[in-house]
Amino acid sequence: MLNLVDIHKYYNPGTVNESCLFKDFNLSIDEGEFVSVVGSNGSGKTSMLNLICGSIPLDSGKILINDIEITDMPEHIRAKRIGRVYQNPAMGTCPNMTILENMAMADNKNKPFHLGRGTNKKRINFYKETLSSLDLGLENKLNVTVGSLSGGQRQAMALLMSTMTPIEFLILDEHTAALDPKTADLIMKLTDKIVKEKKVTTIMVTHNLRYAVKYGDRLIMMHNGESIFDKSGEDKKASSIDDILKLFNEISIECGN
Amino acid sequence: MLTIILGILEEGLLYSIMTLGVYITYKILDFPDLSVDGTFPLGGAVTVVLISRGMNPLLTLLFAFFVGAMAGIITGIIHVKFKVRDLLSGIIVMTGLYSVNLRIAGRSNIPIFSYETIFENKFIDKYIPEKLVPYIGLIIIIIIVLIVKALLDRYLETKSGYLLRAAGDNEVLVTSLAKDKGLVKIIGLAIANALVALAGAIYSQKQGFFEISNGTGTVVIGLASVIIGTKAFQNIGFIKTTSAVILGSIIYKACVAIAISLGLPASDLRLITSTLFLIILIVSQDRMRRVKDA
Amino acid sequence: MKKTIYLVLTSVLLMSVLIGCNKKEKITTIGIAQFADHGSLDNCREGFIQGLKDNGYVENDNLKIIYDNAQEDGVIGNQIITNFISKKVDLIAAIATPMAQSAYGGTKNKNIPVVYTAVTDPVLAELANPDKTSVGNVTGTSDILPVTEQLAMIRAILPNAKKIGIMYTTSESNSLSAIKEYRAAAADYGFEIIESGIATAADIPLATDQILEKVDCLNNLTDNTVVSSLSAILNKANKKSIPVFGSEVEQVKIGCLASIGLDYFDLGKKTGAMAALILKGEKQASEMEFEVIDEYSFYGNSKVAEDLGIILPEDYVKSAKEMFNEVVQ
Repeated sequence: MLNLVDIHKYYNPGTVNESCLFKDFNLSIDEGEFVSVVGSNGSGKTSMLNLICGSIPLDSGKILINDIEITDMPEHIRAKRIGRVYQNPAMGTCPNMTILENMAMADNKNKPFHLGRGTNKKRINFYKETLSSLDLGLENKLNVTVGSLSGGQRQAMALLMSTMTPIEFLILDEHTAALDPKTADLIMKLTDKIVKEKKVTTIMVTHNLRYAVKYGDRLIMMHNGESIFDKSGEDKKASSIDDILKLFNEISIECGN
Repeated sequence: MLTIILGILEEGLLYSIMTLGVYITYKILDFPDLSVDGTFPLGGAVTVVLISRGMNPLLTLLFAFFVGAMAGIITGIIHVKFKVRDLLSGIIVMTGLYSVNLRIAGRSNIPIFSYETIFENKFIDKYIPEKLVPYIGLIIIIIIVLIVKALLDRYLETKSGYLLRAAGDNEVLVTSLAKDKGLVKIIGLAIANALVALAGAIYSQKQGFFEISNGTGTVVIGLASVIIGTKAFQNIGFIKTTSAVILGSIIYKACVAIAISLGLPASDLRLITSTLFLIILIVSQDRMRRVKDA
Repeated sequence: MKKTIYLVLTSVLLMSVLIGCNKKEKITTIGIAQFADHGSLDNCREGFIQGLKDNGYVENDNLKIIYDNAQEDGVIGNQIITNFISKKVDLIAAIATPMAQSAYGGTKNKNIPVVYTAVTDPVLAELANPDKTSVGNVTGTSDILPVTEQLAMIRAILPNAKKIGIMYTTSESNSLSAIKEYRAAAADYGFEIIESGIATAADIPLATDQILEKVDCLNNLTDNTVVSSLSAILNKANKKSIPVFGSEVEQVKIGCLASIGLDYFDLGKKTGAMAALILKGEKQASEMEFEVIDEYSFYGNSKVAEDLGIILPEDYVKSAKEMFNEVVQ
């Protein structure tokens, strides 16, 4: 499904600050997999997501989705098949637009944004239903601007919006890191539910070891631009949180929140 | 008294068309677009040249609108495709347009007193009763402003309009929606500059002549009006932002008219404007702080 | 706070209304709108007031004058006219072309006569028909430059000169029409005109250096931008001993060699007399042709001539309206 082949990525090339992040990095992810990625700061987790999404260019190598090369595709074209939720809840919604307007925009992804009415009235009930599944009461605040919602509410909306239309990939970029533990748990449960319902291939970068172990069917640990631990299926289930924590501590990182 | 109010309304509403353009770039797109100083006289040059070649004055407005849109697209392309900073792209286009405007017009001052305009034509002479004649200018401007405002309000509620608002609000989301945020910005700049050129065209027809130097300072008037309007009416729920911007333009022109009427020299007007600007900003911040404290 | 501001705004509005409605008996009110702050335009205004006085309208006696200056901002100029209209002035005097156009455009259907002055080409500005008759309730005087007289003078002072350099601002339409006339008449006096168009005052130093390489003398128009940078131009020209001719007396005063010019004070006076006719009701502006001054005078600067080693022809010096023997900075 997704293949990263011989990826090279340098930062600040040609300057004294030049640093090599990836050297011959390879990764392949199968259709329908839910991959959790953990790693130390600067290990390349988020950079990997940015490379996949096209937010930053790569120096050499190939990125393929379903054997189609997307290496040189601009970010917004790749976004057609990718949904992404960011660490910052502000990134996934438009704060000055209402909940309804945000939902309507997300609903229109991959369709033309022409001069027709922005909000299709017939879809309002569907939006309400979808929002009520969050159990946050947002379905009664359709005309409230998103900017006045709490971080957790916004992140829940961002998650809904990014998965509203059929996508091949869901990218979760430390999407619970900016939330308080209780809200983070809620969002994580919601994530799991959506991923299972839609059977969408997912990559989740997280600092939270507990989530990484509990959710997903494959776990990758990254360090200095390399994958140093990669177990899936039964192997993953067999590894206890302590084993992983031990490895974690060896590469000396914090244990998330 | 009536004349002064009439004058303020005429000028304020006429300029509000330009202000709506500045509102799109500055408030919605978060793009301080200086090319406006060039597109305002551009609209004037286009309309005056076409009128003096015998084109229907109403039709020339359409041409001015589209030529203005082209100028906006150029600013957008310079910013988006060549990655020039927003302020600089505006300055580049504004500077270039000065020469372009002179080229279009042929010289720096073209009168059209002897031609028909939307404000003076056979139709008005024939069908408008004598009593209404002093108000006809205002009536025509009100009609145009209402049409422009209705279209803009309508546009901002379309799918394309949503995307435009999203581009200023959170451009990451535009990318997430698989849309090219650069393209959205270009569209926004095109609409904004089209409106500014339209205002410039109407202004030239109202005045009866085109003068190249009349564009200088347009962007300041626009920004001041947008800020006055949005700040003064931000907490009054039933007033749409577009209406607030139009009111802002009228308030701005009223202040200038009052200052002139009081005999303050024109050289001091800019200082008065900036003081007014500052007062409005301080007052609105003050109010916001109080809301937060409560 | 908000209330206070509204209160202030309302009271300001009220005050202006009170001033606007301040009618007195038998006092004529006129508005003078001047486009820019500029020596010759000021002379024009003073002459205009004198012209009114000579014809029975005395300021602060039976005449109230509201004066405003647009500081070269056409948009402000427009609002000045609106203000005059709201104060119901009996006549508007507009000084310089854009101001005259604003006044004429703004007073249509308002029954307020407009008298303009210092408009170089009223026909091109559509304030008058090609046969000099008026296009509406508007008339005035033109400050058209005495091009042929000026060329004849340059020929008399510099018998061997071939190339005259003229700098002008591309956005000033008065300059464009003057250039056209110079181009048409130059050959008759054996001259070639070398033009240099500039966009802003910032272009002047470079443009001056370049044009001085190519010409035998410089000649000024009444171009606002160029005239305001005249001292810088004179400085460069003097270093190369290239004479600079002016277009009016003020320029000769500050260091141009000589000029055949019109007296803007006289021009204003003539305009004031026309305005008086209209105010008295003896004539309508719409039936008055625009007028020009056809008497031009010679102005010379003997100090500059001495520095350049040029002897000014005696007949010119004798007929001079004014000779300067120093350079006023």
